[in-house]
Amino acid sequence: MPVPLYGFLQGDTIGLLILADDGDTLEALAQKLQAAASLRVAARHPVRVVYNDKVMNPAMTVAQAGFEALDRFDVLSG
Amino acid sequence: MLNREEWLPLAHKLDWDYSYVREDEVFPEVISGRPWLPHSEWKDWEESFKTSYREYVDNQYEKDMAVLAVHDAVGRIENVQKLALPWLNSLKVHAAALPLAEFTGVIGNLRGARFGRDSAWRTMATFGALDEYRHTQIPLLLFHPLLRIDPQFDWAHKFYHTNNWFAVAARHFFDELTVGQNAIEFHIATNVVLETGFTNLQFVGLASLARESSDHMFERMVTSIQTDEARHAQIGHPVLAIVMKHDPKYAQYLVDKWFWRNWRLFSILTGLSIDYLTALDQRPYSFKEFMEEWIIDQFLRTLDEFGLEKPWYWDLLLDELDIYHHMIYASAYSYRATLWFNFVIPGPAERKWLRQKYPKYWDDMGPVWEQISERWRSVGPGPANELAVHGTAMPTFCDLCQLPLSAGTPRKNTAKVLVHDGRKYIFCSEPCQWIFLHEPERYASHTDIVKRVLSGEAPAQLPNLLTEYFNLTPDTWGKDAHSGNYEWLGVRKESAA
Repeated sequence: MPVPLYGFLQGDTIGLLILADDGDTLEALAQKLQAAASLRVAARHPVRVVYNDKVMNPAMTVAQAGFEALDRFDVLSG
Repeated sequence: MLNREEWLPLAHKLDWDYSYVREDEVFPEVISGRPWLPHSEWKDWEESFKTSYREYVDNQYEKDMAVLAVHDAVGRIENVQKLALPWLNSLKVHAAALPLAEFTGVIGNLRGARFGRDSAWRTMATFGALDEYRHTQIPLLLFHPLLRIDPQFDWAHKFYHTNNWFAVAARHFFDELTVGQNAIEFHIATNVVLETGFTNLQFVGLASLARESSDHMFERMVTSIQTDEARHAQIGHPVLAIVMKHDPKYAQYLVDKWFWRNWRLFSILTGLSIDYLTALDQRPYSFKEFMEEWIIDQFLRTLDEFGLEKPWYWDLLLDELDIYHHMIYASAYSYRATLWFNFVIPGPAERKWLRQKYPKYWDDMGPVWEQISERWRSVGPGPANELAVHGTAMPTFCDLCQLPLSAGTPRKNTAKVLVHDGRKYIFCSEPCQWIFLHEPERYASHTDIVKRVLSGEAPAQLPNLLTEYFNLTPDTWGKDAHSGNYEWLGVRKESAA
């Protein structure tokens, strides 16, 4: 099921709407955001997904992590 | 026959006591504004210009003739065609944003002309309405004919009638400021905050840039408009003084709210023009330098004059002077097809200048421009590659100011999610959320572009969004002014437009 999320990639100048699938892993979600922002920000590895001020396990899915529509998540370097 | 000094007080003070209706029925709080006070508290309202209608018409006629004379001498299409490319696109920004915004000022002033609480106030607001009508007609007269040389100038008329994202943001601002506002809040927000402060950006800052850019027509136009602004801006000061006396907390709230709302809009309108859309050798100062000298210092003096405190977000605002409009410009460049004017990439010389003027955060902005430049290098210059150097994901917008979620820094975006009455909102910054939470009934039902896309009201695919919802066409949507054909990129293509 698609879940629209506000994604903020560290290094970028704007937040982007990312249409996640609830079965996406957070690693895949981070890749989606990096691809969407690639015009402005070079891809970096490794990255961390931060949600509600917590660094998330990249193997978790969007549903397991409890993401709801129009939540914010951040992708940070390192 | 009465002389001028005898006539003016008679013409200014025309109030009387009502016997058939109550005063609060003639001036209902909902449209006159609060605090609701009996006229005895407003009867000493006065301003310093004190002009008669005849003097007003004579002065305006002289000013209009001066504008037309300059237009005839240096405002022809061939003069405009000689202007530098970045400045020409700055003109397109102002050609769209200015005229109909001024027309909403007619409506706000007419509300003051009927529901202002003293007759002298109402008389001056009538002149204010005539001023704003002039400020609508002059830019339309000067800019819209430029449609002959460039279809993007069609947006002088069209802008506010579209659902373009920036038009949505500007309408959200001006609808609240002028069209749907009570007389007290209108005159404080417009006269004290916008016209005493921020129109200096438009009418002093831009006049100076226009002179440097050899655009004498624009310089004359904004200078002429500024002489009206300086007069009718005086309406708000005695209004604020009386509100301050009776409800200082509310006065402080209005000033804090409107300074922030003005900052958001004008940092884009003027910040981009000064720091990006003026040729480097024609920039007399940076946007930050101009803000500090003309806006910040003057606003602090105004606060002091009325016994007001600095807004609670003052340190944040000073910090934003270094970064906000840079975040917006880079974002807007990468979504330029969503706008009606063209952009330029700051090259090495411009970036060196920006680094000198904005040392605090430029280390975070420089890599963004490097990455965009690299994309042009990889695909090569030329109009055919425009959309290969363009964002594809949906950009996002603040639920208060309706502008992109581009606040904070590239390291840390300050957007905040809020759940209010079961609905989720996102704000670009703490002050935008603070304004929303003060008056949620005013803002809660408005939907930003993202929510319109998600609800199906607006198309989700970018090409459809541009043409069907933003009213753009391939001819009019924003492009790189040089089609990526910059000598410093090292991949210059002589045939590129």
